[in-house]
Amino acid sequence: MSLTINTTINGKSVSAGAEAAATLLEFLRDTLNLKGTKLCCNTGECGACTIIYNGKPINSCVTMAADANGAEITTIEGVADGEKLHPVQQAFIDTGAVQCGYCTPGYIISVKALLDRTKKPTMEEIEEAVSGNICRCTGYTKIVDAIQLAAQKL
Amino acid sequence: MDYFEPKTISEALSLLAKHGAEAKVIAGGTDVMVDIKYKEEPGCLINIKKVPGLGAIQESGAGLRIGPLVTIHELETNKLVREKLPVLWEASHQFASLQIRNTATIGGNICRASPSGETLAPLLVLDAKAKIAFADGEKTEPFTSFFQGPGKSTVGLKGLLTEIDIPYPAAGSKSVYLKHAVRGAMDIAMVGVAVLITPDAAKNSLQDVRIGLGAVAPTPLRATKTEALLRGEPLTAGLLKEAGAMAASEASPITDQRSSAEYRRWIVEALTRRGLQQTWKAATGKEVAS
Repeated sequence: MSLTINTTINGKSVSAGAEAAATLLEFLRDTLNLKGTKLCCNTGECGACTIIYNGKPINSCVTMAADANGAEITTIEGVADGEKLHPVQQAFIDTGAVQCGYCTPGYIISVKALLDRTKKPTMEEIEEAVSGNICRCTGYTKIVDAIQLAAQKL
Repeated sequence: MDYFEPKTISEALSLLAKHGAEAKVIAGGTDVMVDIKYKEEPGCLINIKKVPGLGAIQESGAGLRIGPLVTIHELETNKLVREKLPVLWEASHQFASLQIRNTATIGGNICRASPSGETLAPLLVLDAKAKIAFADGEKTEPFTSFFQGPGKSTVGLKGLLTEIDIPYPAAGSKSVYLKHAVRGAMDIAMVGVAVLITPDAAKNSLQDVRIGLGAVAPTPLRATKTEALLRGEPLTAGLLKEAGAMAASEASPITDQRSSAEYRRWIVEALTRRGLQQTWKAATGKEVAS
């Protein structure tokens, strides 16, 4: 059964079709061609598919595409301001917090959501905020450095 | 696959009546979407998120009334839950990642009826009750008789969980939820133990004691024999040891990829002892007498 999804993605109104069984991740990547959000574990455990949904970070791989109806969604494509990178993106570059890069969009989104709700996060809050994101290259130290740098700059 | 978004409880119930066994109720979707991808697509999906009135946390008499659509993160950040039902707060805080907690609902965790469901052992020791709506009326079911097996509960194929009623524990009571897992909150519990005790007025003995065990039987369960052993007694080192061993014998765990049955029994024993020790100290200010 095909549904019509009316939603707001990165500030723009979008209307497109989706199968009832489709995930929000499939809708973003395959229907809207927004490939920045990554498909990885596909079971809600690794955080590579993290997006901001009505202000909150969620795993798009275990969310129904149908739930995008009426929602406001931010994906990695909507984080930068035109050519100007978001301070969280810049901090990941400046600290070398990117190895293979596959987990990076999910991390950037989780960290943006953290800094949207807490300007000066404690180490505990940082760890909590990204505990649902896995870096298979295990570059966690630099990622924490990046988060602290981004918090200072914001 | 058909898809419905009922706008009222009665509309959801008629859809369940009509589609029966081929229907699947979905809320947060963190488990159901995984099943759709890797197990089986149901004949129809009934998304209840548009049903109004199922997403609130309200004080009602001397307790909280929690709607099934309340997310785990809403539980975790609710002041009343944190202050009045700390054992449920602890479980919601150790519940997977923030991304999942922002999506998964308490009703989903309950109706999934997984033996390892993080909120279930706490609900058992809180003496919480479920309100379930059916096409021909509603019923109230204590969680102690709600679960019938992995994935099975008295909600059945045609009911809808509409409310979770949790009385506040007695004044002076203390509780704890202990989860044993390799990767902390991110992991499914190998064992979860909830303990709630109320000392007598003189703080010399256990007036009430409730022990909930998760992930060690086909359903979450209360260790009722262990509770009976402890009730009315002062907590001594000897009794603590006996209680741990009895709780382990009340569990009937399986061996799976997370741990062996034997290991799970050891953990039940250890966590029951630890939970009793911690709550006893918190409630009476005393160490367990040797």
